[in-house]
Amino acid sequence: MHSQLYRLVYFSKNRIVGGPAAITVEIDSILRSSQRNNTRMDITGALIFNTGIFAQVLEGPRDSVEATFEKIQQDVRHSDVQVLAFDATDQRAFARWSMGYFGRSRESQDLFGHIAAATGFTTAGLEGARIFEIIRDIAFEEEGRAA
Amino acid sequence: MPIRAKSQSLALAKSSKRRPPAALRAQQPADALALSVFMQMKRAAAVVDHDGRLLLSNSVFDELFGAEGGNAMLARINGEAGRNAGKTSRQERFPNGRTFEIETFPVDQGWLIAAGDVTDHLAGQARAAEAARTDGITGLGNRLMFREQLTRLLHNPDSAAATVALLVVDLDRFKALNASLGRKVGDALLGLVGKRIRSAVAAGDTVARLEADKFGIIQVGQPQPQSADALAIRLVDLIGRAYLCDGQLINVAGSIGVVLPSPGAQDCDHLLKNADLALGRAKKDGHGSYRFFEAEMDERMQARRHLEIDLRRALALREFVLVYQPQVNLRTNTVTGFEALLRWQCPTRGAVSPLDFIPLAEETGVIIPIGEWVLRTACREAAKWSPAHIVAVNVSAVQFGNPNLVSTIISALAESGLDPRRLELEITESVMLDARGTAHAVLQVLRTMGVRVALDDFGTGYSSLGYLRSFPFDKIKIDQSFVRGTSNDPVGAAIVRAIAELGQSLGMATVAEGVETADQLARVASDGCTEVQGYYFSRPMAPDQIESYLSTRNRTNLL
Repeated sequence: MHSQLYRLVYFSKNRIVGGPAAITVEIDSILRSSQRNNTRMDITGALIFNTGIFAQVLEGPRDSVEATFEKIQQDVRHSDVQVLAFDATDQRAFARWSMGYFGRSRESQDLFGHIAAATGFTTAGLEGARIFEIIRDIAFEEEGRAA
Repeated sequence: MPIRAKSQSLALAKSSKRRPPAALRAQQPADALALSVFMQMKRAAAVVDHDGRLLLSNSVFDELFGAEGGNAMLARINGEAGRNAGKTSRQERFPNGRTFEIETFPVDQGWLIAAGDVTDHLAGQARAAEAARTDGITGLGNRLMFREQLTRLLHNPDSAAATVALLVVDLDRFKALNASLGRKVGDALLGLVGKRIRSAVAAGDTVARLEADKFGIIQVGQPQPQSADALAIRLVDLIGRAYLCDGQLINVAGSIGVVLPSPGAQDCDHLLKNADLALGRAKKDGHGSYRFFEAEMDERMQARRHLEIDLRRALALREFVLVYQPQVNLRTNTVTGFEALLRWQCPTRGAVSPLDFIPLAEETGVIIPIGEWVLRTACREAAKWSPAHIVAVNVSAVQFGNPNLVSTIISALAESGLDPRRLELEITESVMLDARGTAHAVLQVLRTMGVRVALDDFGTGYSSLGYLRSFPFDKIKIDQSFVRGTSNDPVGAAIVRAIAELGQSLGMATVAEGVETADQLARVASDGCTEVQGYYFSRPMAPDQIESYLSTRNRTNLL
């Protein structure tokens, strides 16, 4: 059992198909299963999404991060996963795991805007803010490209 | 729940335990011993008469069957024993979940019954059978399990062949990964790949690790070929996604071969072979590809196999001949020598082009004995010529990989009596590309013997100038593709000129190959080539034509 703290940063293309109703169902399912698993696996971080992409930071014991990532890789709701970083770290940059919508669509904002508040979307410290900024920028940049 | 003896059941047995009936009472010491063994043995044992009544039983028997279940069993055994005059043996599962092996032997008084609990033994056997069919690294089935499953499926008349697909998945570059990451991480990676494959298939499908980094999948009960197509696309995507393993980020790609069993197909090995052929083609297409098997792939492999068979016996059947093409010195206008060229006249195929059989001969190693024959024959032939003429023999990189090459050449020279300075080996740059550098050492040895060395097909391939520095070639042969186009190809002409100048500076002769017209001859001459070879002077000729060719040529020149 490897308990060394690791941080993973990746982004991937959103492959959820269907209209707003279908998307809402899937996002809700991702939110609930992530909250359940991540608490159990001692994982913190942040998941940012829009209609084009997902971008996520995962922090936790190495085995937990690897197992969670393996599960994520098998998920058909996304593709083209790009790992930006996977490194050992001394401390967490995120105090809890949270999820938030970051995109330009007004409609999606209305649909998913509440999730950030509901999960207590937050960053911790300068490092957290820096990483958050990176994935938020990626999310905005890739939104149009991937969709 | 174990069956316990009840006091009211088997009254006869109860009494008999205390005192065997007269018929069975010990008369002799040997009988007493047998009775004692019977009563104390670990197996449950009993004697019943022909009517099914219990005459004698030991305590283990009473313990195990001394209840209603015992009576039922006795009734069944009697029925069966009555039909079978001899010894019988069978396994019986009891309501308490235990399985017994029950044997009956005919004895004078009726039947001797012996029973042993084989539940644990059977469970052990089942565990061993399971273990023999499980891959320890991935927890999936192994090759044995896969072949059994496939065979079962192919022989089952209920399973519609139209809904079955066989897929084989192979990881690209896994060996290199295994070497760089270590066996432990490699095994863990195989485990992850196995899980991903499992996650992509349906519950009824079979997944196994067949060998090293090769997995097999049997897809069942799905409309084909679209389902296998969809699965292959999904697997290529899924397996190609990054892995986090042992704290490292790992990328691999999987190639997939797919075969759909034709109706009535029953040969498991044949199917696996076809899947491998498709896999091989997918791997050639590049990382992360998949291919369906096509009959044409098999036909091509069969054709290759037959060619190989013919090729292997061609030497023994003396189907090879050497023909010789002259090389002419442009300054003196004299023939300097001949290049020996291999021809194969196959009785069934006719003349086979060297382009068709040489690559196969190299791949299969048949080039070694063929090359030896070429060397010996060419030396023997050249020994008959005027000492002014050399013989050039092509030697492939595969031959240079054979440690016997030098001794073969020494022996060919000694047998023929040919002056080593009249033997020229033509090698391509592939000889110089060998990683171990042994070819270079071999060339040095040959050089000290006096053997000449020419660099063939120069201008194609890498044509590294480093080769020219690493070994002092006697001759550079300029590939005919640069010579042929010289009339309206200024770039080709420039290349010929540059190589000719290079040769002149390095003190190496330059031969323009493939000269067919007077125009081409004039150009390569003005470009500075020292020798030419090609149809303009002569096609390759049979050895018995050489003498008349040379005398005709001399006469013509004199005129």
